[in-house]
Amino acid sequence: MTTDTQQAPATPSERTFTWQGVRTVLTLELRQRVRSTRWKVALVVWFAIVGFVAALLPGLVGSSSSGGGTWVFGLILLFVLGLGLVVSPTLASTAINGDRVAGTLAILQVTRLGPAEIAVGKLLAGWLAALAFLVISLPFLGWAALTARVAPWHFLFVVLVLALLLGVVCAIGLGCSALTARPAGSSVLTYVAVASLTVISLIVFLVSIPAVTTEERVEVLTVPLDANAECEWVQTTRSVIHTERTWWLLAINPFVVLADAAPARGPESWDYGPLDAIKEGVRLARTGDQPRYDECWSENYPAGVTPQREDESSDTSPVWPWGLGANLALGGGALWLAIRRLRVPYTTLAPGTRVA
Amino acid sequence: MTEGSRPAIVARGVRRAFGQVLAVDHVDMEVRTGSVTALVGPNGSGKTTLLLMLAGLLRPDAGTVEVAGADPASSAVARSAIGWMPDTFGTWDSLTVTEVLTTMAAAYRLPTDLGRARTTELLRLVHLEEFAATPAHALSRGQKQRLGLARALINYPPVLLLDEPASGLDPRSRVDLRVLLRRLAAGGVTVLVSSHVLAELDEMVDDAVFLSRGRTVSSEALLATTTQRRRWRLRSLDAEALQHWAFDHSVTLYPDNDAPVGGTSVLVELADDAAAARLLASAVAAGVPVASLAPVSGLLEQAYMSLDAERR
Ligand SMILES: Nc1ncnc2c1ncn2[C@@H]1O[C@H](COP(=O)(O)OP(=O)(O)O)[C@@H](O)[C@H]1O
Ligand SMILES: [Mg+2]
Repeated sequence: MTTDTQQAPATPSERTFTWQGVRTVLTLELRQRVRSTRWKVALVVWFAIVGFVAALLPGLVGSSSSGGGTWVFGLILLFVLGLGLVVSPTLASTAINGDRVAGTLAILQVTRLGPAEIAVGKLLAGWLAALAFLVISLPFLGWAALTARVAPWHFLFVVLVLALLLGVVCAIGLGCSALTARPAGSSVLTYVAVASLTVISLIVFLVSIPAVTTEERVEVLTVPLDANAECEWVQTTRSVIHTERTWWLLAINPFVVLADAAPARGPESWDYGPLDAIKEGVRLARTGDQPRYDECWSENYPAGVTPQREDESSDTSPVWPWGLGANLALGGGALWLAIRRLRVPYTTLAPGTRVA
Repeated sequence: MTEGSRPAIVARGVRRAFGQVLAVDHVDMEVRTGSVTALVGPNGSGKTTLLLMLAGLLRPDAGTVEVAGADPASSAVARSAIGWMPDTFGTWDSLTVTEVLTTMAAAYRLPTDLGRARTTELLRLVHLEEFAATPAHALSRGQKQRLGLARALINYPPVLLLDEPASGLDPRSRVDLRVLLRRLAAGGVTVLVSSHVLAELDEMVDDAVFLSRGRTVSSEALLATTTQRRRWRLRSLDAEALQHWAFDHSVTLYPDNDAPVGGTSVLVELADDAAAARLLASAVAAGVPVASLAPVSGLLEQAYMSLDAERR
């Protein structure tokens, strides 16, 4: 009977980052989540809300023949992102400090699992849970994409960006839960972080407009008093808004990232929806006011001057790679923080916390 | 285990503070391989903190620890060699008892089938087979303690660190625990067990390490307590005969303040069991109707009380 406790294990290798370790944590976390009734209720409520909005929208913005489809698709997409930003923080923001309070963190840390395996496993679990919400929204998103005649490839791409953005929020939540001792604190912190990305950054952008506005000498191509003559360049002083210094405040916004990554607008003039508006807005902001203005309304251009439309003068290269990149960097930083904070042995402990 | 074999646990000059609180001040200890060693000390004396450092969860501010020949802070060898049972039992809410153990097995990187076999084996060992499919949070406190013990054993650890494993256990489970720990030790496992259920420890430990305000009490001092004269309770049916006999044989009788009501009992101080046997023979020969002669408290308890006294 003594053999039951004495089978020497094979000589262990030094701990590394293994998929098997990540999967152990992932399965553990998913089992915990899937079995709670709260989770099932949340899924049902989500499905009902998105379905309700999807049913309501066409009535509000008009039928698909008059461009309503583009509007419905854009609004549902933004709505699902918004709802996702509300729900995702709850999926990861107590993953670490909650376990520490429940006394289940140290028993994992004392095993052969490394801090990166624990952190990544928890992140993946939170992200998969967030993706479940996305998946049950797919019927509505897909239907809206069909009515808006979005190409399948484009649709998949947008959904992928949406999924990545939700993953970033989960990572931020995980980082916060590693940083704060109390679960309530990290939940609040995560919501503050999400609000900073979405609402606060927008407010700061708007509030900072006076600060980036300067009185400058500019050249304006204007219609002379004699309306039949050619337009002429006039030097004048104008307020110039240098949003090219603050456009990044918009670019990091998940809503902007998603809208900017959405497929380009169709050729028809009515193929213009909320996503296109956001996209144009942020690209204009990136360009900022130019030192030359074309106000030659009479279209009577002097020789050698080509007409210049505002939307043509602006930089139309996509903004979303920057925004998504910044978001992913933020999420990566949060994950790195979580890994650092999970390392044992602890040298310092946050005041008021015990290891076990 | 041979006398010359290397100690399984060594701590030298270990110290750890939490902010202003000095939890472990200076700990020097060696735990023999294959022994069951008690870690005894009043509340707040630093037992849990010391065990955390031995388990590789907390870095000592100063000093070194070595478990199974390696530093638990940095070595996978040491980690694999340690089974740690925390004093507060936390478990994953909705996992079943079986899943708790298979998860732990996976966390120790045991192959899946070995992990499953080990789980079955351990459930039998701690008598939780009928709860295999029960969610862990539905277990009673004592059952959770037993699950915690099984969890600590999952990786076949040659070194076991148990923090108050007996608290919450019913008498039957305590006996089981004692038998189990003795059997593990017989198989070569080193067990360090902190507890305040001293009567239990007395019967199962080979050695004891005493902690007082974060310091190990020197082994000479410990030796002194174990060899010092213990108090025995002597009950007789005839108080007068007892006193005559005591006077004739110049045996000092101490009043027994905690005497069970109704009995005629006094305390005597005796060096060892042989002295007790001699005393009893003499009293009986003198015609004193002796009902019982038994030590008042266990050795550990006596040592513990002397520690407790210095706690201000
Ligand atoms: N994480 C912590 N932060 C602050 N103080 C602590 C912490 N852990 C333990 N202590 C303090 O250190 C001392 C020793 O605690 P502990 O090791 O838990 O003692 P024991 O297990 O012997 O009862 C106590 O005074 C306790 O308050
Ligand atoms: Mg303790």
